[in-house]
Amino acid sequence: MSRTISLVLLLSLPAAARAATITVDVRDARGAGVADAVVYAVPEGRELPLGKKTAIMDQKNRTFVPHILPIQTGTSVRFPNSDDIRHQVYSFSPAKVFQLPLYEGTPANPVVFDRAGVVTLGCNIHDRMSAYIVIVDTPYFATTTKKGRAQLPQIGAGKYALRVWYPEMANEPAPVPLMLGASENKGLVVTIRK
Amino acid sequence: MQLRSFQAKLVYLTVAVLVLLQTATLIAVHVAGERTMRLGVTDELRVGRGVLDRTLTVRGRQLSIAVSALASDFAFREAIALADRPTIISALGNHANRVHAEAVFVMGLDGIVVADTLNERYAGRPFPLPSLVREAERRGESTAIVAFEGRPYQFVLVPILGPRPIAWVCMGFTIDETVLNDIRRLTSLDISLWNPSGENPLVVSTLRTNERAELVSQIGARPPKGGDAVDTVSLGDDAFEVLIHPLPTADGSPIQVVLQRSIEEARRPYRRLELQIFALSTLALIVAVIAAYFFARGVSSPLQRLAQEAQKIERGDYSTALQMPQKDEIGKLANAFDSMRTAIAEREEQIRLQATHDSLTGLPNRTLFFDRLSHAIANAKRNGGLVGMIMMDLDRFKEINDTLGHHFGDDLLIEIGRRLSQTLRASDTVARLGGDEFAVTFLASDPSEANNVALRIAATLETPFLLGGVSIEVSGSMGIALYPLHAEDAATLMKRADIAMYDAKKNHISYAIYEQGRDEHSLRRLAILSELRHAIARDELDLHYQPKIDVGSGRAVHAEALVRWRHPVHGNLSPDEFIPLAEQSGNINVITKWVLRKAIGHCGEWNAAGVELTVAVNLSALDLFDPELPTYISGLLSEVGLSPSKLVLEITESAVMKDPAYALRILRDLKSRGVTLAIDDYGTGYSSLAHLKRLPVDELKIDKSFVLNLRNASTDDIVIVRSTIELGHNMGLRVIAEGVETAEAWDILKGLGCDMAQGYFISRPLPAAEFRTWITKAQNGGFGTSSTARA
Repeated sequence: MSRTISLVLLLSLPAAARAATITVDVRDARGAGVADAVVYAVPEGRELPLGKKTAIMDQKNRTFVPHILPIQTGTSVRFPNSDDIRHQVYSFSPAKVFQLPLYEGTPANPVVFDRAGVVTLGCNIHDRMSAYIVIVDTPYFATTTKKGRAQLPQIGAGKYALRVWYPEMANEPAPVPLMLGASENKGLVVTIRK
Repeated sequence: MQLRSFQAKLVYLTVAVLVLLQTATLIAVHVAGERTMRLGVTDELRVGRGVLDRTLTVRGRQLSIAVSALASDFAFREAIALADRPTIISALGNHANRVHAEAVFVMGLDGIVVADTLNERYAGRPFPLPSLVREAERRGESTAIVAFEGRPYQFVLVPILGPRPIAWVCMGFTIDETVLNDIRRLTSLDISLWNPSGENPLVVSTLRTNERAELVSQIGARPPKGGDAVDTVSLGDDAFEVLIHPLPTADGSPIQVVLQRSIEEARRPYRRLELQIFALSTLALIVAVIAAYFFARGVSSPLQRLAQEAQKIERGDYSTALQMPQKDEIGKLANAFDSMRTAIAEREEQIRLQATHDSLTGLPNRTLFFDRLSHAIANAKRNGGLVGMIMMDLDRFKEINDTLGHHFGDDLLIEIGRRLSQTLRASDTVARLGGDEFAVTFLASDPSEANNVALRIAATLETPFLLGGVSIEVSGSMGIALYPLHAEDAATLMKRADIAMYDAKKNHISYAIYEQGRDEHSLRRLAILSELRHAIARDELDLHYQPKIDVGSGRAVHAEALVRWRHPVHGNLSPDEFIPLAEQSGNINVITKWVLRKAIGHCGEWNAAGVELTVAVNLSALDLFDPELPTYISGLLSEVGLSPSKLVLEITESAVMKDPAYALRILRDLKSRGVTLAIDDYGTGYSSLAHLKRLPVDELKIDKSFVLNLRNASTDDIVIVRSTIELGHNMGLRVIAEGVETAEAWDILKGLGCDMAQGYFISRPLPAAEFRTWITKAQNGGFGTSSTARA
């Protein structure tokens, strides 16, 4: 799995808008689209207000759903258990170390992820279960479709660093600087190395 | 002893064959066992290698599972993921203890050792076995054998999942003697792990310390042969087969496995087998020897018995019957042997009988008779008493044999033997000495008993024998001699009985008892016999003449020439005494010829002088076998010029009877030459009239025994003489009576018509000169007519 693949990030910007939608294609080195990659744009030089947002990481058929859950920093994530067996969800990831002792149903308290980073989830009694919560310091994030395309809507003008994360990637590709003006609308292709 | 050695031979042979076979078997077993053992050892080594490999693989897997399980432990993962280094290290130590790992490393995903249980020697440094990490990255985990810090290890490397790999944990387990001993228990092999490049080359081994050193020194120099090649080393007193096998290691360190199998140990079951075979062989040998011993004895002891029986037979002991229970060849041999014993005994008895008995009559023969007689005499010498013996010779037996055949004669002898045996007591012995000669010995207390025995025998013979339709009367002449009266020993007694028998025969009596001195007479006879042949040369013989008077005319007509022997010692001997001797010695022909020459000479002189006389000469029986005789006589007659009619030849009946055919030829020849022939001693010789009739004789001379006692009173003799004269006359013969000693006899003869007479009444035999004188006187005076004058 040490093979290097390239992801192409295609950024397309609308022609004229206050709040633009950016389309990004993530491709590997051979030009194929990469699914389930998280694409996010981090504003530079300004803090964006933390939204009181919530997200859900469900557990169905001994699988975390979704497999990859991008959230903005500070988001509370609930871990409902839709299976009729118990799960013990844990994370040793530095971004958020926690564990939910064996439970069923939905725990009362959601887990708040207040540091950016990637949290790898596991179930202590089901080694094969794993999922990622990608915590980003921006509200502008999206997950690529099967064809490797993601759209970041309603992005205000300004300066951003466009980043991508993908589970198997070896190194995070260099952030793509993005200047969004009033009428800018252009496509970007970002190649990432995994 | 031969039989013993047969027994020994059989035992030796059995032992030799068995030892040979068993030795061959043992060698074959040993060789095969050794080869099988070697092959087996090689196989064991290869299997051992497989077991070792397999064991290590399985152990690696088990260790891997154990380590994986350990690495999945939440607390452990939590500690590794979250804790500080000291906590991590203590957690490592704690969990290493759980699986008995000797070395534990935790590496980051970057391969840098985070912590270790080896005093943090490796912390912050790259993991020393990066290949394990690479393998684990590919396969999720990795297991390998490595030489680590001079010891063989099995390393297991697994990721720590969170749940994605967050770190690596590697645990090392030494391959120690416990592991090797486990394999040893499975394979019976000694196993050494061997790292020739290390400073202390022998890493770990199931061997004892001192053996390790030896193994090092022996294997050290040798490069591994590779593959399945097997080598040999010797440690202490034991030799080993070794298989050197390179162990695949992750770090490429040259660890070799030395598998070794004690040859002695591998050989042990074969040794035991050989020992068992040896023990069985020894047992079989003992059994075989015992069996052979008894078998051989079973053969040899009957053979020994047979040998003993044979020796008995050799000694002449046939009494013991040989019976053996065996039904086998030996039994058959014993039966054959016994039949042989019986047959030999029978044959020997037969031979003994033949040696001591007469085959014809079955009576004892001369040998046995002599033996019995000797015994009887010896017995009588000790106990007293008389031992008598009778020697008997049959009269006329030759004649019977000749006329009636030998078979008849044989039957007669058998019958006589039978009668004699019946007549005598069982204690007496009857024997046939040969021919027609029988002998009897008996015990007596008085000499007169001998007479009784002789009379009994004579009486027995008197009954005519009826054989094959022929009735015949037989008489015998018996001579009796008695111990101790006549002889002191058997030989002498037999000789004297013989002499007595001849006396009886000569005197025509039934039996005679030996007279003392008769034997001395015999001695004289022997002396005479030896001197006889010189008598003629010494001119000791002389002729006397006895006249025969013609009874009718009273004139002397014949002169019978009688030879005398003027013996220088014994004086004048009568022909009765020496003529038989001359006959026995073969001198009779010479004497007869001498007498013929003299007598014819004298007669020639007398006739020339005018004395008309015929000379009579006696011929012996043997003379009748001289074919020259007639020619000789003719020669003499013509020499003297005497007419053959002037010669009378007197022949006894018995002389003619010896060989009648031949005698007849001679007599006819003589007769044809004109010689007068006369039968002498007529009446004693049993000649048949038919026979007499065929003889070409002119005169018949009545035996003097009939004439001597011729008196008027003895009518028997007169009858005989008269009938003889009549018979003679009827046959045309002149009849002469000899032995005329009295006037009475003369008168009777004259009355009976006898032609001539001769005897002392007329004249005794006179020397030639005296006879000349007497004849002159008688011619002149005549006889018969002047009988009274003579008286």
